[in-house]
Amino acid sequence: MPEYTEDELKARIRGGHILESPDEMTPGYRRAIIVQLTVQADTELISAPAYWLAARHAPSTNTQVSAHAIIQDELAHANIAYRLLEDMGVSKEQLVYGREPHEFKHPYGFDQPLDNWAELVVANGFFDRAGITLLSDVHRNTSYGPLKRALIKVDMEETFHLRHGEVWMRRLARAGGAATELLQRCVDWMFPMTIEWFGLPDGLKRHSGQLDYQLKGLTNDELRQVWMSSTVPLCESLGLSVPAHYDEGREEYVLDYPFPCQYDPEAKHWLFDDGEITWDAVFERWKGRGPMNEIYVESVRRSRGTVSAWLN
Amino acid sequence: MTWGLGEGVYEVFARKNRGEPLRHIGYIDAPGDELARVYAWKTYDEENWFEMCVVPRRAVIPVNRLEGPWARNLPEGTE
Repeated sequence: MPEYTEDELKARIRGGHILESPDEMTPGYRRAIIVQLTVQADTELISAPAYWLAARHAPSTNTQVSAHAIIQDELAHANIAYRLLEDMGVSKEQLVYGREPHEFKHPYGFDQPLDNWAELVVANGFFDRAGITLLSDVHRNTSYGPLKRALIKVDMEETFHLRHGEVWMRRLARAGGAATELLQRCVDWMFPMTIEWFGLPDGLKRHSGQLDYQLKGLTNDELRQVWMSSTVPLCESLGLSVPAHYDEGREEYVLDYPFPCQYDPEAKHWLFDDGEITWDAVFERWKGRGPMNEIYVESVRRSRGTVSAWLN
Repeated sequence: MTWGLGEGVYEVFARKNRGEPLRHIGYIDAPGDELARVYAWKTYDEENWFEMCVVPRRAVIPVNRLEGPWARNLPEGTE
């Protein structure tokens, strides 16, 4: 156990101190980084079955290869994050195989079905952009050395996923007709889905410790702005409409719909007309999980028991 | 230390090009040396490595630090 208090550790970190092993963590630091890494690992893990089921819609062998290369990357990233947790004394076995599907910490967006090739590439363009927005901020700022180093690989590969998404969005947008209409329908449900992913606005944010211990650098609202500053111009350049615009006066992106608002997962439709809801109502929806939650979780672990039984 | 499928931890080292240092790039869990080689090569495929090798974590013996990931490998009686 370290011989310093929580406040002393925070002060050291503010001075640029980097932690190199779990035995240097105070209980508060350990709690905060376990939450952060669990969300990161679960998100990478569950993106794999989401993309895997969607990869069936790949239109050629080449696109099959790139879709599966992305899935392989995501699984490797999950593995790396769970391994970091294991070093902190958290059991990967328990996290992956011992929890109920609803206990996983990935965002609600990865509980949704991706039903065609357009939805997969917009997921790469939007969701992976959210991933790289969050993780590159962690990479730049984290006070935990092993995580900082692990993220070099992760950031490189997430950039490839993002390019894959953007290149394909461009192709579909140029095609016109049914392709462009489908692309617009994807944007309509996936843009607000990603906006919500960044979580509570700063004004309502409960104290998490992730900023105090410098496990990340930017706030939720700042990260949302970073994501929009790439995504809104991309969509505009492709002739796609998005429910957000840049406000010259405020010098920031603003949303053109009530935020947060309710979502109908069966119809893949945001209920803008019903107006703003409370964040408690959002948490309620997240807690209830989305339509693919159990299917995705079970698809990454269904053979575990059988194979373990053969070997033991 | 082993888990459900009898896996242990391996540290992964690699060098990008001739003349560059061998760098610690990550770690994997594997049930033995053969699969550790496969998992490391397949997991850390972000570069065309000139050289990669894996080392069982239990084989890394710390010299000057008494804490950290390899502390458990310190020879008995080390102070």
